Amino acid sequence: MLRIHGIIGASDAPDLHAALHRLEHRDGVEYLFVPAHEAGRKRFRLTTDRGTDCAVSIDRDQALFDGAVLLLEEDRAIVARFGAQEIWRLKARDGAAALQLGWQAGNLHWRVRFDGTVLEVLLDGDRGAYRARITELIESGLVEELSDDAREELRRHG
Amino acid sequence: MNMRESLTTTAPAARFGIGGPVGSGKTALVERLIPALLERGVDLAVITNDLVTAEDAERLRRSGLIDPERVSAVEAGACPHTIIREDPTLNIEAADALERRFPGVELILLESGGDNLASTFSLDLTDFWIFVIDVSGGDDIPRKRGPGVLKADALVINKTDLAPHVGVDLARMEEEACAVRGGRPVLMTDCRHGHGIDALVELIETRVLFRR
Repeated sequence: MLRIHGIIGASDAPDLHAALHRLEHRDGVEYLFVPAHEAGRKRFRLTTDRGTDCAVSIDRDQALFDGAVLLLEEDRAIVARFGAQEIWRLKARDGAAALQLGWQAGNLHWRVRFDGTVLEVLLDGDRGAYRARITELIESGLVEELSDDAREELRRHG
Repeated sequence: MNMRESLTTTAPAARFGIGGPVGSGKTALVERLIPALLERGVDLAVITNDLVTAEDAERLRRSGLIDPERVSAVEAGACPHTIIREDPTLNIEAADALERRFPGVELILLESGGDNLASTFSLDLTDFWIFVIDVSGGDDIPRKRGPGVLKADALVINKTDLAPHVGVDLARMEEEACAVRGGRPVLMTDCRHGHGIDALVELIETRVLFRR
């Protein structure tokens, strides 16, 4: 077990970037892939892509981020990488439907953000389990599920 | 083990959440965990959450298991999940205060008030949390796939000694719990007789305290 505490800095910071670049040439950079829904943790245990068992903690006022350098040694560095956050995009048919959708999302404690008229749900688990909670809204046409392509189309044409 | 020497003084105390329905045995579990952890040399403190009293905190303070000064009480005044998930500020402040009063404390146990199957902890508050259910609540609880059952870092099925008295097929309950959790940890405990406590302590030592 490799015990690590704290974040040294960002991998794209000039000094760290140079050090990492040098280590990459010596095959010395390991990546710790953190699932998106686990990114809020202050203490966790994961294994790097090279098989190093890492026990990581950060201070309470720190937040882990994609590209955080957790270890920098003469011959090795460890960098945190986040998996892509899965997002479920929903559009309500009208204002009344939006009220219902908003009420459901709040009542279910979903993590959401807004993109214009689109509600984006940041998924922490299986999409089917989320969809089951608002099946009636979707099947009745009050709420539409958007694909990424539809989102771009909305952005272009409103 | 490769460990930086400075860690013991710089790493904050780990925060371990214990949630679950009313009467599932959360406080009894804390009463078992305290001596087991102290025996292993863990520097420990406890926070209990109650609705409008300090009942659980007083029970622990009077137990003789731990220095009463190391037990803090937080009263939710509302649904227990509101102060472990929606706005855990009261509990964060209580944990920060314990860390200030007891420098070097390694682990803070944080017991939620009894809630329902939807109860979960914020990662802003806890580093690792368990959800405690018991066999007398019904062996169908895992199948109901409540967020607490599914999302907890470990699920504890308590009061296993009561299974034959309440008509519960314990093996099937455990199997279904493992299935709905996709293989993530499920532990069986009987706090009355102390069964299963060692396995939970080993999990804490490995996943929370990073001792193994």
